[in-house]
Amino acid sequence: MKLKTGATLFATAMLAFVLAFALVGCGGDANDSAADGVTTYTIGVASPFTQGSVAQGQDIKRGAQLAIETFNDSDEARDAGIQFRMVEGDDMGDPKTAVTVANTLVSDSNLIGVVGHYNSGASIPASKVYSDAGVVMVSPGSTNPDLTRQGLPGVFRTCATDDLQGPAGAQYALDMGYTTAVVIDDSTPYGEGLATFFAEAFEELGGEVLMTEKTKDVDTDFNALATRISAENPDIVFYGGMYNAGALFSKQLTDAGVAAPVMGGDGIQEQDWIDLAGDAAEGDYATNVGAPIDSLPSARVFVEDYEDRFGEPAGTFSAFSYDAAMAIMKAAVEASAEVSSLTSPAGREALLDALENIRFDGVTGEISFDENGDTNNKIISLYRVEDGEWVFVDPASIQ
Amino acid sequence: MDIFIQQLVNGITLGGMYALIALGYTLVYGILLMINFAHAEMFMVGAYVGLFSLKFFSDPEWGAATLGLEGMQQFFTGSIFGLIIMFAIVFIFSGIVTGLLGMLIERVAYRPLRNAPRLAPLISAIGVSIFLQNAVLLWVDSRAIAFPNVFPVVNFGYGINSLKIFIVVTSIILLIGLDTLVSKTKMGKAMRATSQDRGAAQLMGININKVIAATFFIGPALGAVAGIFHGMYYGAVIFNMGFFPGIKAFTAAVLGGIGNLRGAMLGGFMLGIIESMTAGFISTGYKDVVAFAILIIVLIFRPGGLLGESVVEKV
Amino acid sequence: MRELIAERLKGVTAKPLFTAGKMTAAQKIGIALLVAAVIVAPILFQGFGQLFMIRIIAVIGLYIILALGLNIVVGYAGLLDFGRIAFYAVGAYVAMWVGIPLAGLLGETLEGWSYFLVLPIGGLVACVVGLLLGLPVMRLRGDYLAIVTLGFGEIVRICLTNNIFGITNGAAGLPGSGDSLAAPAGLAWLRRNVHFTIGNNFEFTFTSNIYWYFVIFALVALSILVIRNLDNSRLGRSWAAVREDEVAAQAMGVNTTVAKLYAFVIGAFFGGIAGVTFSYFQAFVSPESFTFLESVLVLAIVVIGGMGSIPGVIFGALAIQGIPEFIRGFASAGWFGNLSAETVSAISNYRYLVFGALMVFMMAVRPQGLIPQTRRARELLGEYDAIDGHELDAREPGDRANSTRGRA
Repeated sequence: MKLKTGATLFATAMLAFVLAFALVGCGGDANDSAADGVTTYTIGVASPFTQGSVAQGQDIKRGAQLAIETFNDSDEARDAGIQFRMVEGDDMGDPKTAVTVANTLVSDSNLIGVVGHYNSGASIPASKVYSDAGVVMVSPGSTNPDLTRQGLPGVFRTCATDDLQGPAGAQYALDMGYTTAVVIDDSTPYGEGLATFFAEAFEELGGEVLMTEKTKDVDTDFNALATRISAENPDIVFYGGMYNAGALFSKQLTDAGVAAPVMGGDGIQEQDWIDLAGDAAEGDYATNVGAPIDSLPSARVFVEDYEDRFGEPAGTFSAFSYDAAMAIMKAAVEASAEVSSLTSPAGREALLDALENIRFDGVTGEISFDENGDTNNKIISLYRVEDGEWVFVDPASIQ
Repeated sequence: MDIFIQQLVNGITLGGMYALIALGYTLVYGILLMINFAHAEMFMVGAYVGLFSLKFFSDPEWGAATLGLEGMQQFFTGSIFGLIIMFAIVFIFSGIVTGLLGMLIERVAYRPLRNAPRLAPLISAIGVSIFLQNAVLLWVDSRAIAFPNVFPVVNFGYGINSLKIFIVVTSIILLIGLDTLVSKTKMGKAMRATSQDRGAAQLMGININKVIAATFFIGPALGAVAGIFHGMYYGAVIFNMGFFPGIKAFTAAVLGGIGNLRGAMLGGFMLGIIESMTAGFISTGYKDVVAFAILIIVLIFRPGGLLGESVVEKV
Repeated sequence: MRELIAERLKGVTAKPLFTAGKMTAAQKIGIALLVAAVIVAPILFQGFGQLFMIRIIAVIGLYIILALGLNIVVGYAGLLDFGRIAFYAVGAYVAMWVGIPLAGLLGETLEGWSYFLVLPIGGLVACVVGLLLGLPVMRLRGDYLAIVTLGFGEIVRICLTNNIFGITNGAAGLPGSGDSLAAPAGLAWLRRNVHFTIGNNFEFTFTSNIYWYFVIFALVALSILVIRNLDNSRLGRSWAAVREDEVAAQAMGVNTTVAKLYAFVIGAFFGGIAGVTFSYFQAFVSPESFTFLESVLVLAIVVIGGMGSIPGVIFGALAIQGIPEFIRGFASAGWFGNLSAETVSAISNYRYLVFGALMVFMMAVRPQGLIPQTRRARELLGEYDAIDGHELDAREPGDRANSTRGRA
């Protein structure tokens, strides 16, 4: 039995070690207020980085990183004597990990806001943690309407909700004369929500949904489904999901002889869609939030800066994430004019107030939030693949 | 009827890939009685090696061309003859690289555990799988990469095209080749002996380390071929691409009777066809449910799988 | 044959761990320290603002319950199960289906007790599901059973995702908009009244994380008690017999199918109660939480800890669930010194790479697990060796020492 005794002792020793760490670890992390009067606050970025939708996670991280670097260099931040530091939280797209990440982030007493999460399934449970801790959260990618309708203060988002984007897509499709549709989703909360709202609106507005089906976000083989769709002969195929699986679907549709274009949401408007689907991408449609990016001067700068900084073109969610981080930082500057420390209860209250009333020109359009915390930027634009590029479709040209 | 034939073609193509991967599971299981969870990652690595070597030979903005070897690229992509040689090189190269990786993994992660409790190598394999996925994610790319579209695709109607024929025919040739290797050659005999009784095989003068190493070369090499097929057929590779095909192929191996080569082939094709038929005529969302339900039903009535011998307990 | 069985079952009568009255003084002190640490830890972490530690340890607790359940199936009865997460999912969804209307029925004053009422219901539903799956497949052996359970786990997850019968709300998860689970009884009172500060750096509030932390550890303690008694019962002995040699067990009059079924169903019960607790702790469930990888990780906990060993399960859970989270948490909380954001990010992103390598390493160093069950320590050494009794010589000195001690 000595072995067991040893184990118990070892366990105790380990716990003692952890506790000792806890005691030591909390000694010195008061505000990083340096002697020069500059206060540094932390902004968390929480998204999947090592599992799940890591590509979107990376876009989100880079968008926020660029925003923080840009803002730290701006006069606005210097004049206010505020700097921001980014801390990452890898939620792996998993709701349980997301709550752990949220708890980790709020353990940093300098944390004032979080950009994230990406998956709605991660955002919804994590939002409670942030709200309890008085930390504001701006999601750049969670489109499930329920997120901002839980009645929690401090929950915002810069992307459009599914119940906005789905119906807008349906309207565009009908305007272009597509009257029959097949609706496919990828069994993620995002894809499912988008597809459901599209299908509902499409039927309501007078279109006919020939078939709805579910696939998986990690599927690669859609041949059987594509063959089946070819027998239905729809005018348009709506895909609620992300570009990586969706592009393969679009390709296999074309291979199966389906001439109808694919339409999707913001998740497919990526260069990768065209790279992966090849010629099959031609004529595919995507809806996206906000005015087209090159119609705004701030957006053009963002697109260039992003490529300079990371050597890759910005993804859809980089822009939402950039705006989310900017909103938090701008609100922080505003609030800090009224209170001395944003990490005090009064400071957190002031930040929340400032964010609720924020208004500025972001890279996805004018950023401001409605009473739920959803973006007021409710313009949904339509894009189409032409000659291997996503091109803005002027609403006036389709009737 | 048209649609039915098309779905059958889809299923057979998918099944060919499953069968190739399933062979890797079944070979290892037959000899070591372990489920090699890392095999799915061999498939993924093979696809990546194939992708980069194919790019090297064919992408004018990548690889050989930047080294001043445009001529070579032109030769490879210019004619059917060149293409055949190029694909032969790509397949053999990535088969060898992945095979060697498989041997390395066996040496590092499994050999020390050969006499350990049965589940230890299984956990080790899961560790290898997590490691490899994250290695590719961190050091190669987190995004899907498009596979070079160099294979000339000619359509013959009924959903049949040259690529599908190529995949199915090559798969069948490899399956027959492996079957011959195991049943006819000296190496095959040694493999069969090792799988029957490792100790006795050793006493008969068989170098079991060599046999096991060979198994761990052949399985991953076939997995790599399946990986390249996967890339060519669907047009993309991504770091987590191995996971689901891996589970499916493992299912196929069990369906056919794990440890039995012909069973793995049968299981692979059956599973591919079941999946396509379900997705094509019943429901895409429930295709995996139907596939697994059929597996469970088959196992209830034939506990050793379709071609597996029913195990008689030796006392 | 008979001598062989007798030899093998010798370990069965070995003194069980933690049985009152039979412990050495050192063990008593050790356990007292452990219990004290478990109770004090959250108070310190909360007080010093290291909130994430409470959450991480509570999650580890959930995995301990899950793994204890699987340990019965894999460690005691020797059945390989890849679909454990299915029962976890059943428990979690039952909590939502039953817990929300139940809270409504109980009314405002009593709704807090809904968790405690749903807990056994979730466990029992999981048992029924386990029985329905177990009945037809129990005669499958080894890896065939593994793939069947894997398939079952996937079937459950896909059905949840596809909103089967319209009750799972698909990928979006439960509760749907407008619904929520009732806060557990007493939480509001504790939160209001248990609040104190010591000096400038220590501020303690009784949060819901702490509440669940204690609920989970009470469940862990209860589960350990129940399972230890089970292991030492007639049923536990029949499991050992089945695991060691099914035919021999049958010959000795053990109804192997029933014994296996018991293991499967009781294991499912623990999965179910862990699921119910998860649902309430998280206040949200969606199919994303119940992937095949989770089943695999729970299995890894059991094997890395040492099959059939309760302390092993606890250590396994610490290793599998704890290591990646601790690495990340410590790095971002600045415990490794003042690291740059890039370094923290790199540490965080490489944690699974390191974790994979560690799994391989742990198995190479200790294939029998961190704390193997004494009874099992011998069987692990291979059939042939065990028969002629030379098994110990084949191992490294360290293992030999452990095994010898185990025999004493």
